[in-house]
Amino acid sequence: MTRRDPPDLFAPYDESAQPAVPIEGYANTFRRNPARPPIPRPYTRTARTGPLDLSPKLKPGDDNLAVIAPGRIALGQLIHVSGRVLDEDGRGVPGAVVELWQANAAGRYFNPLDTRDAPLDPNFVGNGRTLTDREGRYAFFTIKPGAYPVPDSGRWWRPPHVHVSILGPSTLSRLVTQMYFSGEPLNAHDRLLNSLPDAAARPRLLARQIPPQEVEGEWLAFSWDIVLRGRHATPPAP
Amino acid sequence: MIRPNAPLPPTAWHTIGPFFPRTFFREGDNDLTRLSAEAAPTARGEHILLRGRVLEEGGRPCVNAVLEAWQADAAGRFRHPLDPGWREADPDFLGWGRAWTDAEGAYSFRTVMPGGYADPAGPRAPHVDLAVLASGIMRRLVTTVFFPDFPDANEADPVLRAVPEGLRHLLVARPDGRSEGLRAFRFDLLLRGAPDAETPFFVD
Ligand SMILES: [Fe+2]
Repeated sequence: MTRRDPPDLFAPYDESAQPAVPIEGYANTFRRNPARPPIPRPYTRTARTGPLDLSPKLKPGDDNLAVIAPGRIALGQLIHVSGRVLDEDGRGVPGAVVELWQANAAGRYFNPLDTRDAPLDPNFVGNGRTLTDREGRYAFFTIKPGAYPVPDSGRWWRPPHVHVSILGPSTLSRLVTQMYFSGEPLNAHDRLLNSLPDAAARPRLLARQIPPQEVEGEWLAFSWDIVLRGRHATPPAP
Repeated sequence: MIRPNAPLPPTAWHTIGPFFPRTFFREGDNDLTRLSAEAAPTARGEHILLRGRVLEEGGRPCVNAVLEAWQADAAGRFRHPLDPGWREADPDFLGWGRAWTDAEGAYSFRTVMPGGYADPAGPRAPHVDLAVLASGIMRRLVTTVFFPDFPDANEADPVLRAVPEGLRHLLVARPDGRSEGLRAFRFDLLLRGAPDAETPFFVD
């Protein structure tokens, strides 16, 4: 097969490694997903490009969720999460905006829509935004989020997780996902994590704990790499 | 680590869930015409408003949806190295914006009328790509907005042509009067509904 090799290669996602909907106990997965299968389209320039510098607009620089002001430290287990944002060739993606949000140590979000009867922490908002460096590395401090039950779902509890949104070099490389912690007993029962039909795809959403003896600080550290869609997708700096 | 023959599998998508932080939205995020809230808007092109509602099954408003828009500048160029003309792209135009829906499911963008361009896949009509994120949407939904000003270009557009003929009108925004001194266009999205009313979405 001859293949014209454009400078970028995007293929539709492997469906077996992406969530299948609807999901039991999550009514919005019924109401909000189209009945018609998505329509195949050519990937034209609009899809293959994307905003290269969102820093002025989104103003990243908030990578410590555990301290909201000097001396005001969130309750919970202090953790450090780091890793690389890669393209499918394993090249680091520089300059990607990484947005994070999560529940507090008691499993409650600082969000007026979370009306659960669990305590809010006055020292924890749980949102941050950072930028990958030249090698595609990102890192942030936070506290380990608590688990929380999903309302009206028949005792489905979300395991501890961090929501992550990444704005990479192309609109086709856009990614929103959730990071889980390896070894959590609730992972085996989570309906979102297990909505990936291919069981081999699930561990890729799990952060790995770095052995404490390798961590130079008084926190627990986790490592998690993120792969954005696209081969040869990392554009040269303009 | 470059593995040209063994690409890494892309990380799986998940929903934004019900608690996407409201503090992530700032004034001007839904304004594509400027690089930041502080920057002056671009002087090129016709400034327009693109607005509408996001509805879920039964026509109920989809509250707290996030819409992300991406489009070419007024001359049909992208400030991105994959566009051969990127050096001539409008330096004051970002082309990206993010809007969110209110209790009625309503959203609004301020932008410029995009230019069309020649793509290897065919001549692209002026258009805005929209991605929808919301609780329960496990992978973003992607669609494209076209404009009623360009019926001939729309007819030739390779992406619009991929849509069954009877549904193409659903992807063409409607004139919606004037606001803030600008022409406004209306584009409603029905995430799930009758086959002749549900918004066509594309393979991402
Ligand atoms: Fe969550």
